[in-house]
Amino acid sequence: MKPKKVLVVDDSKLLHRMFEMMLRGFPLVHAFDGREALDRLAEHKDIELILLDINMPRMNGLEFLNAVKAHPEFARIPVVIITTEGTEDDTERGMQAGAAAYVKKPFRNEELLGVINRLTASPAA
Amino acid sequence: MAAREQLPPRPGSALDELRAALDRAAALAREIESRPEGAGELKSRLADVESDREELSTKLAEYEHQVQRLMNLYVATYQLHATLDPGEVQATIAEIAINLLGAERFVLLFWRTSADGTRSGDCEIAFAQGMEEDQSGLYLNSAYVGGDSVVDATLADGVLRIGPFDGSPALACVPLTVQGATVGALVILKLFDHKEMLRAEDRDLLDLIAAHAASALFAARDYSVTDRKLKTLESLVALVRRQ
Repeated sequence: MKPKKVLVVDDSKLLHRMFEMMLRGFPLVHAFDGREALDRLAEHKDIELILLDINMPRMNGLEFLNAVKAHPEFARIPVVIITTEGTEDDTERGMQAGAAAYVKKPFRNEELLGVINRLTASPAA
Repeated sequence: MAAREQLPPRPGSALDELRAALDRAAALAREIESRPEGAGELKSRLADVESDREELSTKLAEYEHQVQRLMNLYVATYQLHATLDPGEVQATIAEIAINLLGAERFVLLFWRTSADGTRSGDCEIAFAQGMEEDQSGLYLNSAYVGGDSVVDATLADGVLRIGPFDGSPALACVPLTVQGATVGALVILKLFDHKEMLRAEDRDLLDLIAAHAASALFAARDYSVTDRKLKTLESLVALVRRQ
């Protein structure tokens, strides 16, 4: 099932443009750091998936993820971490913080789409 | 009476019917005998279908691969020319290197130029990523000091070089050209650990950077300088009018 809205949180304009191209047909909401992403979440109650970078100014991805998981209203939203931080420790840290999946940049379109399809098809999502 | 009505209309017809029944039986037997061959044919057709499916699957993977390549190229080109802010163009070059190529350590070099536009001798580092851990000693005080044969060659002849190379820490050296002149280079020194090497499709992006990055940056710088001059003139005119 297609998510109603997808929140893209990344400080790279290039990546936002890439997601617009790749996820045509998915209504996207854009944010460039964690704080802005929290504002967008409060504005758009129908966000059903979050694509999250880690290295960002003001509030980084892990801080944002902790804030989301601590919020009763947002905690159920699956979060996909998409980052250049590719070590096993990084992945474990992200998954322990509550991410539903971890994708390393640079990624292949089908890899990310596969993750999104898996998460949005799952009843838990 | 009822049994009589069921009799064949003439004596010979019973034999005919029996013969026809035998013929049908023979035909059925032949059909049954031929079934293994039919199954073989079905198996052969199934194998053909499987082979077609595999071929289509391979073509689909190739198609997806091409779509990804084109999408990367489109997005990179679009973003390079989407702004007239030199800082943003520089950031876009860095974003392409990090997010699309998987570069962890790299430098963006430009020849220093004097006011009249002639080269002043050395290359300045316009942007650097991950250089805190660089041990080469080639990049000091915001400048490339020279001595890397690959970088020197690219800066001299404007040819894209993809390594790894013996005797050079560079993995790739991308010339930055404007109207055929090499004005600098993007030197990729290390990839992220999860990206083992530059792939064939990365070459397209490196070519694109070579062709577009410098022109986008120079256009933005020219615009920035012109805009600053225009604003200075406008404020001067406004000042004169007030007096």
